[in-house]
Amino acid sequence: MESIKIDPKNIYYPPGGILMWILIFLELITFGAALIFLVINSKEDPEIFHQSRLNLNATFGAMNTIFLLTSGFFMATTVHQFKTNNYQKASLYLNITMFGGILFLILKSVEYYLKINAGYTIGYNSFFTFYWLLTGFHVIHVVVGLVILLFMQNGIKSKTALIEDVDASAAFWHMCDLIWLLLFPTLYLIL
Amino acid sequence: MNKKNMYTLGLLIILTIITAFFSNHFGDFKYIIFTILLLSSIKFLLVVFNFMELRHAHPFWKFSIITYLILFVGIITIII
Repeated sequence: MESIKIDPKNIYYPPGGILMWILIFLELITFGAALIFLVINSKEDPEIFHQSRLNLNATFGAMNTIFLLTSGFFMATTVHQFKTNNYQKASLYLNITMFGGILFLILKSVEYYLKINAGYTIGYNSFFTFYWLLTGFHVIHVVVGLVILLFMQNGIKSKTALIEDVDASAAFWHMCDLIWLLLFPTLYLIL
Repeated sequence: MNKKNMYTLGLLIILTIITAFFSNHFGDFKYIIFTILLLSSIKFLLVVFNFMELRHAHPFWKFSIITYLILFVGIITIII
């Protein structure tokens, strides 16, 4: 098979592919707009939003940030190992990447369980409507990302994965980091 | 392992702890909020340029992501 050398400096070939980057920008704009709308809403009733924000566990939020960032680091390492044809190490680091995502989901589940038990459900007030919708959609992205990585793991093990596929999967996984890096300060820290 | 990425991860973790600490200990002053957003923006850019390797990409993509971040942080800072 003839291999084509991709020049990342070409505007049509950002790392992960142009379609993935269009998706990343659309996702960032959607979540960004929702977060701006949250902040606008908080101005109408700042006390309720502030008190509700204090009911969130910032330590859980920070730990989840660290889980996702560490997972992102191992994703970058996986891509590096794959590019140097070290498939065994790439597979190992991809497992660690997925483990980081699973830790994120476990801690998020604990957080959701505590919130539901305390009565802070989606209809409790405007802040918690935003909280459940924004974090819920983000969790869906993480789950989809894990499914993509699972397929990628099979591809790496059977040596059928292409570098373009690995790059695109990695870009999707990092996008989950990026969305969380916007959600965490806005929801958990500043209102 | 890529040493640059390891240093990046270390910095990201330190910045995460600092932002959480700022929020818990320094109240809700506007400059604290701006500092938290600024540190979060640095984390965002570290992930984009180092982990996602956008530093190797065409300037259009770098310009777009930086513009997005400036708009996001700017709008939130103005509203708050």
